[in-house]
Amino acid sequence: MENEFFKNRLNITRRHFFGQAAAGIGGLALGSLLVPELFKGDASAQSLPLGVAHFAPKAKRVIYLCQNGAPSQYESFDYKPMLNKMAGQDLPDSIRGTQRLTGMTASQDKFPLVGSYYNFKQHGKSGTYISEIFPHIGSIADDICVIRTMSTDAINHDPALTFLQTGAQVGNRPSMGAWMSYGLGSENKNLPAFCVLLSRGRGNGQGVYSKLWTNGFLDSTHQGVVFSSSEDPILYLNDSDGIDKAGRRRMLDQLAELNHEGFAENKDPEVEAKVQQYEMAYRMQTAVPELTDLSKEPDHIIKMYGPECLVPGTYAANVLLARKLSESGVRFVQIYHQGWDSHGNLPQEMAMQAQDVDRSSAALITDLKQRGLLDETLVIWGGEFGRTNYCQGKYTVDNYGRDHHPRAYSIFMAGGGVKAGTVYGETDELGYNVVKDPVHIHDFHATVQHLMGINHEQLTYKHLGRRYRLTDIAGNVLPGLIA
Amino acid sequence: MILAEASQSWLQFWGHFHPMLVHLPIGMFFMAGILHFFYAQKQQEARPIVTRILIWTSIFAVLSGAMGWSLAQSGEYDPSTLQIHQWLGISTCVLSLGLTYVMRSGMSIRITNLLFILSLLCLTITGHYGGNLTHGSDYLTASLPAPAREMLGIKMEKEAEEVPKITNLKEAVVYAQLVKPILTQRCISCHNAEKQKGKLRLDSPNFILAGGEDGPIIAAGKPLESELIKRLLLEQNDEHHMPPKGKTPLTENEISLLHWWIQQGADFNKKVAQLSSDEKINAILKKYSQADATQESAVFKQSIRAADEADLARIRKHGLLANPISKDQNYIEVNAINAPRITNKELADLLSINAQIIRLKLGNTGVNGDFMKEIADMPLLIFLDLQHTKIADKDLESLKGLAYLESINLVGTQISDRGLQTLAKIKSLKRLYLWQTRVTEKGVAQLKKIRPDVAIQSGFKGLWPIEVDSSQLAFNK
Repeated sequence: MENEFFKNRLNITRRHFFGQAAAGIGGLALGSLLVPELFKGDASAQSLPLGVAHFAPKAKRVIYLCQNGAPSQYESFDYKPMLNKMAGQDLPDSIRGTQRLTGMTASQDKFPLVGSYYNFKQHGKSGTYISEIFPHIGSIADDICVIRTMSTDAINHDPALTFLQTGAQVGNRPSMGAWMSYGLGSENKNLPAFCVLLSRGRGNGQGVYSKLWTNGFLDSTHQGVVFSSSEDPILYLNDSDGIDKAGRRRMLDQLAELNHEGFAENKDPEVEAKVQQYEMAYRMQTAVPELTDLSKEPDHIIKMYGPECLVPGTYAANVLLARKLSESGVRFVQIYHQGWDSHGNLPQEMAMQAQDVDRSSAALITDLKQRGLLDETLVIWGGEFGRTNYCQGKYTVDNYGRDHHPRAYSIFMAGGGVKAGTVYGETDELGYNVVKDPVHIHDFHATVQHLMGINHEQLTYKHLGRRYRLTDIAGNVLPGLIA
Repeated sequence: MILAEASQSWLQFWGHFHPMLVHLPIGMFFMAGILHFFYAQKQQEARPIVTRILIWTSIFAVLSGAMGWSLAQSGEYDPSTLQIHQWLGISTCVLSLGLTYVMRSGMSIRITNLLFILSLLCLTITGHYGGNLTHGSDYLTASLPAPAREMLGIKMEKEAEEVPKITNLKEAVVYAQLVKPILTQRCISCHNAEKQKGKLRLDSPNFILAGGEDGPIIAAGKPLESELIKRLLLEQNDEHHMPPKGKTPLTENEISLLHWWIQQGADFNKKVAQLSSDEKINAILKKYSQADATQESAVFKQSIRAADEADLARIRKHGLLANPISKDQNYIEVNAINAPRITNKELADLLSINAQIIRLKLGNTGVNGDFMKEIADMPLLIFLDLQHTKIADKDLESLKGLAYLESINLVGTQISDRGLQTLAKIKSLKRLYLWQTRVTEKGVAQLKKIRPDVAIQSGFKGLWPIEVDSSQLAFNK
């Protein structure tokens, strides 16, 4: 993209040139005298031939099951019986420390601790504690790695989700999937490298926005392609009435010619990107209908994912579609499932949400495993932050809510070179603070990229005068997560 | 004394010109030979030119010889190789002078030819020993592919003394398993039996303790007073910095490990558990054991040359993805995801990169059993995906010779229990995918018994859905 801009500079007129030359060239010369490296270029910045990893990857593809709204760790993967024992008592200041609170609970005069409404059980050889509302995920405990010590910087949904997806709280950076597309490219020439699937649960929901799957400053071919939740997953992909394949081809060829002319004039790299996107859409016309047709999945597969997977737009259907996309070589499939923001009425909402995702999430991992794909596919399940160990609003025996908590929360990963059948990290007895092995979002990004064969410090893009990366200036690969 | 030192220094200065200047007479000598032999019919025409070239050759040969002698005084080279190189070099000089005389005096063509051949032969051997002196005796054959090396009977010295893998970090011997590999990788090329820069050898404990021309390099317990560490910590541009400019410097972690080892007494036998370590060192150590544990396959120890770009281009024309598995490795992964209609015919082109392929994904294509014989010719194959193809039990026979094959995906094929008996013989096998095949539970159980080390996936058989007991959901705590 930069090259194109640079070429455009070569088009400036003669008069411009002489007008600016005196100051310009003199300035350049002075600059190069003062800083000898100025015009040498940086070999390392361009050292990654796109499409080839820095080192042998463990995972080839990612399926990210993002649980949007922040599922409570206390009712899922972080078993804290002490909270049940101390239920109703105030959160000690010594535990809370300097943690800021959201506007929703900051004015509460009491912070009564509240334990899980649900029982926990140990599962598998690993003996991992998992809540009873996730029985299917419990049954595959030996295939997953639970991280109990995720921590983030943001305390509200939008910045936290943006941070989780792009490595920054403000929304102008490329998403994880866009970085993967940029660094590793696509395996399947007929499908985009980065696909996004959206679904909505029955709990209190929070929005998702296109900035979460943005290409940021990268070329727009790296943007996530959103599949619609309707019967027609990609709108306007089918030719309209009266247009046949040959006609479509002719139209695209003519349009491309016009676009190339436009590009010659204005040198906007986005024009070239647009041409590529039209071509991708054209190729997708044959690949996608075949792929999104779930009706041909055999019965035993439907039985695994649950009957809901035949209803377009449900989480289960999206998970099944994610498997098919990933199987077909899509580098990064991003799922967002809304409805986890249980500020109140948590016991009921959480049970419904769990019911919607438990079986199909476990089915995905099991299905990938029997196909021999789990070894090279990294599955990530989790939200943008956790929830408080104290009750938001009125605490009663069978109803409570939990506010946002960024300091420690739980997610799990499976396949793609992560240590299966393990629990990583430890929180204190009240689950509020990390005691051992913290996993900051930057560390999480560094580790995921590492599993994909990417050195997070080397996959960079120069924009507005400096090089950016997903982990920006932080992040450590955590060997404890890697098999 | 000062005068002697200055002249020593001048000697060194001129000596360093030897490796550069020496190539001039070599080239001239061969040029003279080419003119002499290939323009034999026009002997009379060529003779005066050849003679003149030989005069200059001799002058430069003697000059380079003198510089070579100066360089030899530094004592940094393996004495026995040096002796051979030196006397051969002197012989070459004498021969070239003799040849010049013979040419000028117009002696019989037979004597001239004989002398010419003898000189060039002598020159070649001299050059070979010179190369061994500067680059090490295994330089020439280091990148020779394993089969050719076997044919020539050349043994890899490096393989002979393999570093024991770190499986249990606490039990790892600090010197042998952590320090020595660093020295081997970064220092030994200039401080070994054949070449001793600064009269220092770092290839065994005795020599490390003996130190170099400026005395000992290790002060046990005092890393910052040890020359070994001091040199590593100097400014990159300092002339005493090690490794010298142009060679890869040690990483921070490597320096920290050496520092730690010396601080803890520079013992050559102690294990990690016997030394005390702080958090920083522990983190580094963890990385080392991790890096070692992730060394998945012995294949990665083999150095192979890069696949030919033209071969790759031809393969890609068929719609196959054929890329190195990473930027700094030459192993190739081939993936047929964009070429579902590909058949054995087009796949035959893969044989041109058979030595590089380690991952081969041919699932859902038209490949069939006949191609298995070609796969048998891909010696480094680790990963083979043949799901949903026309592969039969008997075709698996060809895979038995693959020494590194770890993962085979046969999902959706006609493989039956008979095929499993063949697969059981692949010693390197670790993962096997048999879902939607004709294998029986009995066959799988039998294979598991013979090969408990193989993880076998034959499809999901759990009982789903798992009902949540709603009575449990009520408050019972």
